[in-house]
Amino acid sequence: MARESGLKARAAALAPEPMTVLKQSVLPLVAAFVIPLIFHFGIGPSVGAYPSKVLLDIGINVVLAVSLNLVNGFTGQFSIGHAGFMAVGGYTAGLVTYYGGYRIWGDSLPHGGFLGAGEMLFLVATIAAALSAAAFGYLVGLPSLRLRGDYLALVTLGFGEIVRVMIQQTSDIATDATEIAATSWPSLLWKVGGALGFTGLPFYTSLFWVWLWVSLTVLVASRLKTSTHGRAFLSIREDEIAAEAMGIPTTTIKVRAFVMSAAFAGVAGSLFAHEVGTTLNPGELGFQKSFEVVIMVVLGGMGSVSGCVLAAIVVTVLPELLRSVDEYRMVAYALTLILMMILRPQGLFGLREIWEIWPFKALFRSEAK
Amino acid sequence: MTKLLQTLMDGVSVGSLYALIALGYTMVYGILKFINFAHSDIFMLGAWVSFTLATLMGWTSDAPWIAGPAVICGSMLICGTIGFVIERLAYRPLRAAPRINVLITAIGVSLFLENVGQLEYVFGTRPQRMPSLLPDTVLASVAGVSIRLVDVLVIGIAFSLMGALEYLVFSTKLGRAMRAVSHDLKTASLMGIDVDRVISITFIIGSSLAAAAGFLTAAKYPSINQPAHSNWILFGLKAFVAAVVGGIGNVRGAMAGGLMIGLVEMFGAAFFSPNLRDVYVFTLLIVVLLIKPDGLLGRATVEKV
Amino acid sequence: MTGILEVQGVSIAFGGLKAVQDFRLSLREGGLQGLIGPNGAGKTTVFNLLTGVYRPDSGTVSLGGHNLIGLKPHQIARAGMARTFQNIRLFADLTVLDNIRIASHARTWTSTLASVLRTPGAIAAESAITEHAMELLDVLGLADRAQETARNLPYGDQRRLEIARALALDPEVLLLDEPAAGMNPQEKIALRGLIRTVRERFSLSVLLIEHDMGLVMDLCEQITVLDHGTVIADGSPESVQGNPRVIEAYLGAPSAEVSA
Ligand SMILES: Nc1ncnc2c1ncn2[C@@H]1O[C@H](COP(=O)(O)OP(=O)(O)OP(=O)(O)O)[C@@H](O)[C@H]1O
Ligand SMILES: [Mg+2]
Repeated sequence: MARESGLKARAAALAPEPMTVLKQSVLPLVAAFVIPLIFHFGIGPSVGAYPSKVLLDIGINVVLAVSLNLVNGFTGQFSIGHAGFMAVGGYTAGLVTYYGGYRIWGDSLPHGGFLGAGEMLFLVATIAAALSAAAFGYLVGLPSLRLRGDYLALVTLGFGEIVRVMIQQTSDIATDATEIAATSWPSLLWKVGGALGFTGLPFYTSLFWVWLWVSLTVLVASRLKTSTHGRAFLSIREDEIAAEAMGIPTTTIKVRAFVMSAAFAGVAGSLFAHEVGTTLNPGELGFQKSFEVVIMVVLGGMGSVSGCVLAAIVVTVLPELLRSVDEYRMVAYALTLILMMILRPQGLFGLREIWEIWPFKALFRSEAK
Repeated sequence: MTKLLQTLMDGVSVGSLYALIALGYTMVYGILKFINFAHSDIFMLGAWVSFTLATLMGWTSDAPWIAGPAVICGSMLICGTIGFVIERLAYRPLRAAPRINVLITAIGVSLFLENVGQLEYVFGTRPQRMPSLLPDTVLASVAGVSIRLVDVLVIGIAFSLMGALEYLVFSTKLGRAMRAVSHDLKTASLMGIDVDRVISITFIIGSSLAAAAGFLTAAKYPSINQPAHSNWILFGLKAFVAAVVGGIGNVRGAMAGGLMIGLVEMFGAAFFSPNLRDVYVFTLLIVVLLIKPDGLLGRATVEKV
Repeated sequence: MTGILEVQGVSIAFGGLKAVQDFRLSLREGGLQGLIGPNGAGKTTVFNLLTGVYRPDSGTVSLGGHNLIGLKPHQIARAGMARTFQNIRLFADLTVLDNIRIASHARTWTSTLASVLRTPGAIAAESAITEHAMELLDVLGLADRAQETARNLPYGDQRRLEIARALALDPEVLLLDEPAAGMNPQEKIALRGLIRTVRERFSLSVLLIEHDMGLVMDLCEQITVLDHGTVIADGSPESVQGNPRVIEAYLGAPSAEVSA
């Protein structure tokens, strides 16, 4: 019934040049695959085992921070249950690679080399993780729509806790190949180790996979931010009533933000679950973990993708450097958080990206326009 | 039947602890409109300060009768002061800031208290045993239910404190000022109410009630966990859930909500599965919020445009 | 003859306060109508009722023959009713350009996936949105401020940005809530021309709330007067100006003073 806006006709006349498509659309995608390869075959082998492990942790935290930023930064909602989605994803992926591995190969060891059959199973598992976490994101997002900001925080926190407690109730992992082969999938769902954690998962998480997902997450978030859909997210954060008055379906968009954010948290859960030196257990994924991600988002800047990436790096690396004074780490975080809110409440970068800020602006200008 | 009564007793006992903590949450929320996440840490401090005071005084065994009252008062005093300081340093500079910033600050304060508490020369990370300052005798057995003195004292003290608060809020000049500030901060300050003072007093009262709850919890469950133990935060959070369920900003709602949460948790634990306590509480929260987003005794609010 | 916007018997009460009672209005297609009344008369509440922020307790609202009651604000906005806010509600931390581009979201057709993949179609859509927004900024005289953060604009510019943003919805009806508030005399004169221009150029029907009587009487061809939530007069500027009830409402009833 509304009048034709003429935007479509306008767009038809504005079809982009092939070079523009190549530069804006294709090249970043290519980079998203090349960068992980560089990490995997270049940086990883040359820096050694321990730094590589730190690079894995950084990557996982980047995925977590950038994805939480979709909800807390872009959309201005306040979720503190991110670890819950991570747990959902981690356990989903664990079920696929562990019991899937048993069903296929009779054990839960990694199979095939780089991009071999085992890693393909891992890819399937990670996608399944994203989907199941997204489903939970939808479930949590729905009731939250009726709630004001801080109630939403409480519900997300409550959700995270419910997930944690439910996982604690699960029963022991099955370890016998013939028994597993004879057990139906639905009953395997409950055999994920309870409070002790889901141990024995194959170590598929490599620099390639982590940084591939980092690239994809960052690409999605930053492209979203500079598109009409991302601006719809931002409008809700800025002023929900004005956004509605400007035709933004705020409820739909909030749920969408929750679903997307949860999906990537699920991916991070899958990466975490299959990493060397971590155990997927409910204790690790409580609200302390959620708070840690919130800290990254707040430090980096609510709404700044590059700010979140930077904050995730700092928050992961600093404690590694300061191991000797580890007990002061959390005290320092806490103080930073408080001081930040008093002195620079929008976070280091606020809504802006690093290249939009003075010393870098000049550097990037030629590229930007 | 015995089980029913026993569960009822447990539920009321835990519920009155929730109610005590919920009062602090609800009073702060009523006035400043944010979840004071650090409130559950004040509750934790209440227990640890009680423990420290009792140990310092050498009241580890055979404590004199004065020990209990002295420690609870000391703990309330210290925690009240801490609450006052937190408000002055961390929350007051943010009075005009968006609520999300205050919420994050509150999380920061919460993390700060927990982690400072964990330092070796503060409380450390080892669980401690609270000396029994309240005599733990069985007063009587009714229909097979043993009525323990601790429970009676917990319920008694909690209810007297709530009664005192009820009197303060509804029958004194200070209480009227508090309600005025809670209703409309700007108008209240225009009417000559010293808003800063009222807010400070609110934090002092809320924090000392939480400290009392901390003491009573330590008396009831004598093993005290390390400061960052998730039990503390969870206990505090469930108290916040109680405040929300009752209708945030509403003193009577907080008491009703506290008892309700206590009963739901204990009956769920006794008759379904003890492992899923937290699940019952958070499920109740979500259900109540969906049916009546302003809580059972809360008033609906419309944002003016 | 029915107008583009038809309002009949609309009422709402907040608690005991009957904020708007039995409100009626008929806005002619292409018309420019004023809604005036003393402070607290219920004018903004009428806008909130028309745009779905509040749901009326009773009454009907229709736009171009379509019923609007029960629709969400964003649906009403998409149906062709755009508004500005009395107490400016811009997307304060975003740029001027983004403020406007957001309003075009309702008119875009690309999917989230296409946006993320940056398909040629999505790139073209973004260019179209930007071009459209820049055109609007040009009309409103804000083009050179496109990259500025909305929060940093002077007051008068913020008010004009609100209008530009509303126009980006491609509305049929534009509701302006005190657009001249806080403007200096020169800005007010410019605004007068601006309202006329945009009405012509975008073939709009305009409903205007304004306290500046000079502005209202000069611009509007039809005026509705509200007092205490009820319509006390309705007609041409001249007839309204001469209406004793209107004069009484604005000056305060002598009898009320005696009894007070
Ligand atoms: N959400 C609400 N809840 C309670 N009362 C409200 C609400 N919105 C408006 N009111 C009341 O309705 C009455 C009309 O308000 P409204 O804002 O519509 O007046 P107005 O005519 O726009 O006044 P002004 O010229 O000052 O802008 C006022 O008494 C106001 O306090
Ligand atoms: Mg008004």
